[in-house]
Amino acid sequence: MSKKEAKSNFSKFKQFSCATLLTVALSIPVASISVSAAETSIAIPKDSLNSVMWDFMAKEHLLTDKNSKKIVMNSQILVHTPKVAEDQLNLPVHVDARSVKNAQKIVVIADLNPIPKVLTYEPKQAEARLSFRIKVGQATPIRAAVLDKDGVWHVGGTYVDASGGGCSQPAVAYGNDDWVKRLAEIRGQIWRKPGQEATRLRFSIRHPMDTGLADGIPAFFIEKLEFKGAKGNLLGNLYISEPLSENPTVTLFPILKEATTAVNIKGRDNEGNLIDVAVPAPFQSSALEN
Amino acid sequence: MDKVRRSLLIGGASSLALPILAAPFSSLNAAPLKYNLKAQRIANNSYVVIGKTEDYSPENGGDIVNVAFIDTSDGVVLIDTGSSRRYGEALKELIYKTTGKDVIRVYNTHFHPDHCLGNQLFDKKKIAALPQTIKGLKESGEDFSSNLYRILGDWMRGTEVIIPERAINYSSEKFGKHRFEMLPFKGHTDADLAILDHETGVLYAGDICFLDRAATTPHADLEKWHKSLKEIKKIPHKIIIPGHGPADTTSRSIDQTDTYLTWLEENLTKSVKSGKDMIEAAQMPIPEKFQSIDVIKLEIERSVAHLYPKFEEKSLPFLGQGEN
Repeated sequence: MSKKEAKSNFSKFKQFSCATLLTVALSIPVASISVSAAETSIAIPKDSLNSVMWDFMAKEHLLTDKNSKKIVMNSQILVHTPKVAEDQLNLPVHVDARSVKNAQKIVVIADLNPIPKVLTYEPKQAEARLSFRIKVGQATPIRAAVLDKDGVWHVGGTYVDASGGGCSQPAVAYGNDDWVKRLAEIRGQIWRKPGQEATRLRFSIRHPMDTGLADGIPAFFIEKLEFKGAKGNLLGNLYISEPLSENPTVTLFPILKEATTAVNIKGRDNEGNLIDVAVPAPFQSSALEN
Repeated sequence: MDKVRRSLLIGGASSLALPILAAPFSSLNAAPLKYNLKAQRIANNSYVVIGKTEDYSPENGGDIVNVAFIDTSDGVVLIDTGSSRRYGEALKELIYKTTGKDVIRVYNTHFHPDHCLGNQLFDKKKIAALPQTIKGLKESGEDFSSNLYRILGDWMRGTEVIIPERAINYSSEKFGKHRFEMLPFKGHTDADLAILDHETGVLYAGDICFLDRAATTPHADLEKWHKSLKEIKKIPHKIIIPGHGPADTTSRSIDQTDTYLTWLEENLTKSVKSGKDMIEAAQMPIPEKFQSIDVIKLEIERSVAHLYPKFEEKSLPFLGQGEN
């Protein structure tokens, strides 16, 4: 229960007597326990990847969402990665959850990473798919859990082999003297195909994305990015955790009206550095260039 | 949380261990870990041990690289030492059986582990390499080695990284009648040594040249690599021994490596310009002329991982910078 919720609960009971108040105050922790008991009453299905961490991942990252009603394993949730991580600092991942109607959010988890949660994506006016790169600490399942409108988590994933250590190495950037000067440099482009609503947005932000697990280097990473169309319409939200790769390079599929000239990306890292950039959208007719 | 994770892992490990222990020892465990190395004579006093044109696997034990030795009247000159201590042992035995002589000079053509993890069997004072190779091996040798332990398992038993003690800062060396010219190139790695034996005209190209086995790019600089291939083509020779693939009497290994790298580069550029991500880029269709190259699909996937970020940085338009 968040602080905000606790506060509003409290104000509801304001009119009651002191004694009642005391009871309410005492009952808050009890209530929160019963909530978690309710969470565990949602059955966690057998993991198709046989991960020893699966139950814990489900409890920690899926059932904590108050809209959760059910979890199902769904082979239609596609998680594409190479079989082996060639570079444990940059494992490419493509998640395609377009088979889920009304996908509310996509949660990406690498079970055996020291920090398993990679990101949460909320596609608003966008297709339920994205690609990005992650750091992996060892061979691990990589899974995507997609929450639909009815509170059902659809879970798919794959297993990636890797040599160790991707999460505890210092960023490559620290080998260059100019990393501070180039921090949060943004590159990006939008591609449109005639007759297709969904466009393709690729962007890359220069950032060390420190996990906090390398000796003497505190966690330093981009936490949130918000994507908006020309009229301020929300296209999607991306909540990011430490395992996303250094210089995150992300592909999203926003649905843009023909007249849209740009997508605005706004966000910040955990030290308050701000990101605010417009990616120009080409006219639909120019899409044949490629 | 870490504590919970660890205990869960231990639980998982012990429950996993049971069925493995209960299973009878299969033929997999009983397979003798013995390299079957053969010396192929390619010129006067000159032999190569041709490796399989495969990726590392528990089946091949890392016997995936070409190694060469030259029987001079001063002793044997060895070019590269293979992937493991066991490989080094088999190689040493083969050399002695073939020549009846001891090794007096070893060259490591570059710092990749398939070329120098058999060093242990030889006197490190006699092992020579380019200075950048020595530096690279000092920095990355242990990581390479632990990665190979992970992939090859018991084949690697007892393998240690041995750093060459002799830096090559000279242009040639003579043993018996054989004058070996040192040809330092760049591109496959930061330091790629090719060696020309003036007595036989054999050009030992190291991994600057691949033949019928896809070139690997984990430390590649494609521009420098192309330049090196152009230069190596001008060097008069009779046979090229590529780092991987069969002995080459027609310079096909130079052309094939060059065309492949050009094609790879063009496709990476095209992919990045059309907005493809790494996973999509790795699906590039392989043209007919490259179909017969071994492990090409895997190497394309690996190359995308090595090179794509650089192509993205070149191609994606700069839009601005965040405030800090």
